[in-house]
Formats: sequence, C-alpha cells, structure tokens
Amino acid sequence: MAQESESTPARADRGAPLPYYGAAGGTGQAQGGATAAGPVPAVRIRGLWKRFGEQAAVAGIELDLPAGRFIGLVGPNGAGKTTTLSMVTGLLRPDDGLVQVNGHDVWSDPVAVKSRIGVLPEGLRLFERLSGRELLAYTGRLRGLPGDEVDKRTAQLLDVLDLTAAQHKLVVDYSTGMRKKIGLAAALLHNPEVLFLDEPFEGVDPVSAQVIRGVLERYTAAGGTVVFSSHVMELVESLCDWVAVMAAGRIVAHGPLAEVRGAAPTLQDAFLSLVGADRRTGQDLDWLGGGSR
Amino acid sequence: MTVAAPRAETAPTAASPSIIGVFVRLKLSLMRGGLRRSRGRTVGWCVGVALAMLYALANGAGMIALRHNHYAPAVSVTVAVVLGIGWAVMPLFFFGGDDTLDPTRLAMLPLRPRPLLTALLISSLIGVGPLFTLLLGAGAVTSVANGPAAVVVAIFANALLLVFCVALSRAVAAANTRLLTSRKGRDLALLSGVFVAIGAQLVNLGLSSLSGTDGLRRATSAASVVRWIPPATAVDAVRSTGRGAYGLAAVQLAVTATALVLLLHWWHRSLHRLMVSPDASTIAASPEESTARGTAEGRSRLPLRLPSGRTGTVMQRQFRYMWRDPRAKAALATGLAVGLLLPLVAVVQHGSVYQCLWAAGLLGIQMYNQFGLDGSAFWTVMTAIADRRDAELELRGRAMAIALIAVPYVTVVTTGAALLLGRADALAETLGLSFAFVGALVATGGFASVRFPYAVPHDNPFANAAPGQSGLVMLNVFGGTVAGTALCLPVLGPVIALHLTGHHAFLWLALPVGALYGAALAALSLRLTAPRLLDRLPEILATVRG
Repeated sequence: MAQESESTPARADRGAPLPYYGAAGGTGQAQGGATAAGPVPAVRIRGLWKRFGEQAAVAGIELDLPAGRFIGLVGPNGAGKTTTLSMVTGLLRPDDGLVQVNGHDVWSDPVAVKSRIGVLPEGLRLFERLSGRELLAYTGRLRGLPGDEVDKRTAQLLDVLDLTAAQHKLVVDYSTGMRKKIGLAAALLHNPEVLFLDEPFEGVDPVSAQVIRGVLERYTAAGGTVVFSSHVMELVESLCDWVAVMAAGRIVAHGPLAEVRGAAPTLQDAFLSLVGADRRTGQDLDWLGGGSR
Repeated sequence: MTVAAPRAETAPTAASPSIIGVFVRLKLSLMRGGLRRSRGRTVGWCVGVALAMLYALANGAGMIALRHNHYAPAVSVTVAVVLGIGWAVMPLFFFGGDDTLDPTRLAMLPLRPRPLLTALLISSLIGVGPLFTLLLGAGAVTSVANGPAAVVVAIFANALLLVFCVALSRAVAAANTRLLTSRKGRDLALLSGVFVAIGAQLVNLGLSSLSGTDGLRRATSAASVVRWIPPATAVDAVRSTGRGAYGLAAVQLAVTATALVLLLHWWHRSLHRLMVSPDASTIAASPEESTARGTAEGRSRLPLRLPSGRTGTVMQRQFRYMWRDPRAKAALATGLAVGLLLPLVAVVQHGSVYQCLWAAGLLGIQMYNQFGLDGSAFWTVMTAIADRRDAELELRGRAMAIALIAVPYVTVVTTGAALLLGRADALAETLGLSFAFVGALVATGGFASVRFPYAVPHDNPFANAAPGQSGLVMLNVFGGTVAGTALCLPVLGPVIALHLTGHHAFLWLALPVGALYGAALAALSLRLTAPRLLDRLPEILATVRG
C-alpha cells in the first residue's frame, strides 16, 4: 500500500495573485532538464486547490506522475478527477497551487506546455459541424504544423482508428465511440509528450475501446506518458502500471499498481477499502425476483 | 415467454379512466417540472401566458364586435384556418420542449395504441395553447352565430375546432417523430425562426395590398373557398345554421367530423408504427453508403484546400460554421435579410440613403459574442492558443471572415439603394461611414467577445442567452452599439461639418478615410484585445460552456 499523501490545507494566502497565462516570472522554477532530486516527473502537482462555492472540489493535491508510464487516475464520481485534469491541462484556473508538465509551469509557460500535451476532456464538445477529417486538418494547422504533415498524419490516424469510412461525415452525427476516437486523434496529432484523457472509455463499445487501447499502448511503448481517469477498476488494472486514487478532492493513495493494490485480491477491493465504501447488500429489496408483480 | 402472456392480459384494452387520469397528471407534472427549473423561466412563462391570454381575449372581443358585419364570415373562417395551420406547424417548434409529443418515450410501456391515443388526446387539451385556441374559436363562432339554433351549433363547433386542431398537431408530430428527433429536424427547427420572420414580412406585404376596397372584395371571394377547408367548415356551419340552411350546416359539420376521423386514423397508424418498429437511427450506415454520402456532403462542395496560415485556417472554419451550424446560419441570414430589408424600405418610402448604415450595423454586430457560439468546443481553441500572437490571429481570422462578407455586401446594398434613390452623390460618404461603422463594431465586438462573453444555450432554439445572462446580452447589444457609434465620430463629425459648412465637394473624402479608419480601428483593437484573450481563456470557457 502506498503511503497516504496527507496534504494539509496550509495555503492560507487566499489573496495571493492567481496564476495567469504568460504571467512573467510565474511560480514555475524548474525549466526542463533533470534536477538533483532525480528525473523530472511528467506532471508535478503541488498544493492544488479548487473551490466551487463552499465545496472544495480539489483540496490540496500533491502528486508526481512519472514519465513514460500508463497512469490511471481513479476515484468515484465527484471525487474531483475531472476538475484536477482540467486544472492540470490549463482548461480551468486553480484557486491555488502549482502544476508543471515536464518541468514547465502550465500557467506561466503556456507556450512550452500546450505544445507538449494532448487533451481529451470529458463533457466538452468538439467543433461538431466539421467532418472528422476537417476537424483534424484545422486542429493540426492551428497547432502550427505544416499542412502537408497534418494531412499525412490525419490520413494515418483516421486509418488506425478505423474512421476512414466516416471521415467526411460531420462529427455531430458520430456515435460516442467515434467521437472519442476522433478526439483522441486530435489530441495525438501534434505528437505530445503527455496525453491527458478524461474517461476515454466511457460509453465506448468494445471494438472502439480495443482500437483506442491499441493506440495508447503503442504510444506509451514509444515513450509517451498517458494519464487517464476512469472509475472502471478492471480497465485500469489491465491497462495501467501506475495509479493514483482520488476521493473527496484528495489523493488517498498513489504508486505502482502492485503497490497500491497491496494484499487485496483486486484493485477494485483495494479501491473500495481506500475510499471507505463497503459493499452494500440490498436487504430491503426482498420482493425483487421470484415471480412477477 | 411465459411471463409475457399474463402481462398482456393485464394491459388495459380500452381507454380506462385510470390511464387517462395518469396522462392528465403526467402532463400537469411535466408542465410544473418545466417551470420549476428556474425562477426566470417561471416568470417568463407567466408573462407569456398573460400576454397570450390578453391577445386571445382582445381578439375574441374584436370578433364579437364584428357580429352582423359584412366581413364577419370571411374573418371567422380565416381565423379557423390560421389556427389549424398554426397547430400543424407547432410541433416543428416545440417538439423538443414537450416531452409528451414524442410517443417513442412510451414505447416500452404495455399500452395499446387506441387507449393511448384517447389518453394523449385528452391530455393534449390541457395547456395554454388549447385555452388560447378555445378563446379565439369562441370569438370566431360568436361573430357568426345568429339565433338560438346557431348558438347550440356554435358550442359544438368550437369544441370540434379545438379537438381538430389538437389532433392535427399530434398527428403531424407522430408522423414526423423520426425527423423531428433527428439532428436534421432540430437544425430545421432552429432555422424555422428565420423562415417565420421572413414569412411574416410577406404576410405583412400581402395584408397591406388588401387594404383597398378592391382588396377586401378579393378577401371575401377567397373566404368562399376557405370555408370549405376543415376546421373552417365547423365555424361556417354556425353561420349556415344562423341563415336557416340546416342541410348545408349538417354537411359542413359532417365534413369536419370526417376530417377529424381521418386525422385520428392517421395518428393511430403512426403511433402503431412508432411503437412496434425499432428506432433505426443508431444503426450504422454501411461504409459504402456513408462514404458516398460523405463525399457528396463534405468533399465535392468545399474542397479541402487550406492555407497554411493560422488566420486562413480560422477563417475557413468560421465559414464552414456559418454554413453548417443552424445558429450561426440563422444569425447571419437574419443580418443579411434585415440589412437588405431596411434599405429597401428606404427606397420604397423614398427615405434617406443613410438607412443603408443598418446593413453595416447588422453585419458588424456578428462579431459580438464570438466564443458563445463555439460553446464548450472553445476548449479546442484554447488548447491551440499559447501566446499573444496566436490569440491575435484567432481574433483576426474571425474578424476577417465577417469582413469578407460585410464589405462586399454593404457595398452592393449601399450602391444599389443610392442609385435607386437617385442619390449617387451621397454614395461615397455613405459607404465611408458604413465601413467605419463595420470597423468600429468589429473592434468593439472583439473586445466584448473577450470581456463579456455569454453562453448560447444549445437546447432551446429561441433563447439567445442562457438564463441569468440576458443582462450581458443587453450590455453587449446596447453598449456595443453606443460604443461603436462613438468610435465612428472621427468620421461622422467631419462629414456633418462638411455638410453644415457647405463644402460638399470634399464629401467623397469620407470613403477612403472611413475605410482606412475602420480597418485601422479593427486591427488596433484586435491587437490590444489579444493579450486579454490569452489571460481570460479559462474564464471564457467557464462562461460559454453553459
């Protein structure tokens, strides 16, 4: 079992200036390269906070995610996974805290960070009135890639993700699995170093899931880092070699899969005891089953 | 299988009162639930209902005042036909808003079509629409009801009119459920607002052409045909009874009743089909078909030839969106149509050539709330903007897309209007002012898009802003127009001064000065706004994702 990362809400300086894109001399100090403490983690999170009204969605996360691994961020619904990933990828401004990707601060050095990460958020749309092919073509060009290169990569990605037949269909008419796949293609197009995927397998059919899985495994085998959130433990257990468990806005455990699982037979069991949820039995549903009405 | 048999026996075979009661309560609960979602919506609903009721009462009273008037029969049958048309097209607008309109939601329940039809029909009679219809119908039948027999027929006819309208609406909705629940149907509903607005203008023109005495005679002769169209037949039966033509009245009532029975039969068949056939909308099209269709849809019309620059890419994306997104299309079409209509009115009424500035204004305000239409897809814009330069090019691409439409359009409309008005001498200054105005609105619109964005809801085709943000919309529209006009003063002031001092020979200078000023103003504003866009990316996303 990994150690508890007991993050105390010590940051009392609520009036401190919030991080802004391009803010000169931000909080990020380590600008690339290895430090004395060892290799630079793919993602370094320090004292990350986000409140929505009275409720703290993310309550002081401290976390280092190692590079080149397949990392699962797991937790029950409402644990703060999406909020955390949004803040890590620069989509949501944190109330407080530091986020670095490969040593670059997300909020003070967006130029370095945005070209190094790929994002597939959950619950946010794409430009759906474009066809799949157009979406990739525009995304690549807006990321500053040369047009020929974009077209070449687009064709390959569409082919590998089994979307070639639907490439001229508007994304608004795509199924959930196809949307996830085109979103993944858009996130991979600029060959990012770290890939953040929020619930990439949610609502995806097994065939598309297998295709996505194959692409992600190929990506990590080539040295890329994948950080993905999920609440399906079997999936995380079969895909990831490193996990972080979130509950109620905090990291309750993190580390290599075997370490987090510990003596428990499955990750599911370890997870349930970590988040303090006993298996409930339906004792009051005595009418259920055994004849109609 | 052993379970299915006893279940089928317990399913109601006739329209038992319990089923009708359930549907009536369901309808009431859905109405209540729709109102509970927000206080603003409740207030809006109450105001809307109050206005509709006032209108219906005033209209009904007006009709009653028309009693014994020569034109009362023509007016009453017209009202009945208009009500019928209104109910027939209503599902297009409100399908998404009324859950009970969609019978496929009930497909999993053990209900037979006939009792379901009765229950749906009765529950449909509850609501503001039916009450509105009842009031208008009461006015229509009262205006032609002369004598006690006619009054009895009038009560019956009004009920028949109401049931006919409701059944018509339901039958149309059921027959087109597949279309109306599809993406294309929802797109159509969004665009229908523009069609209705343009249609209303045509009706307006038609009405004004009927304003002469000759026109009224034509209206009366048209009514002699209209009175044979159900549900107008029911209303005209009242008049026939009043005149003592009982046979004719009986025939007219029979025609209405037959039409109603046919409608119910059509509805029954659609319901049956909907409830026993599976929804095919999620079945994947065969690869060959989708490839063929896709080629026709996406490729051949707009070849994928993109400039490598960021501005060009953004412009192309914007153009595609203007064409494919019904919201963007509706906004642009409205701007283009009204921008043409107002100068045309000027031409017809021999008004001022300066009314052409409307075209510039209506196209310039398209720059406002640029990111609201992106909705949550704004995150993709956000991930691709890393520095100030990216932000500026994003804004510039959007502004150029608008300018590429606005500048030629304004030029053509203004030139045409000036020539038709015989004011070719004022063309240069009007165009100059127009270009300055477009530039000023693009400049303020870019800033407002960044500083005061608002979410455009995706589920309601008629709402312009999400609940609670209408203040921001007002700020955008009024503040933007005032600021835009103020920014035009450096061109407007000298033009007025030249007019006042009589130096008309120098007025042509307004064209180059206005064009340059507008372009420079827009470019400067976008440059100054770009860093703010970069700073506010997460805040804009949080606002527009709605």
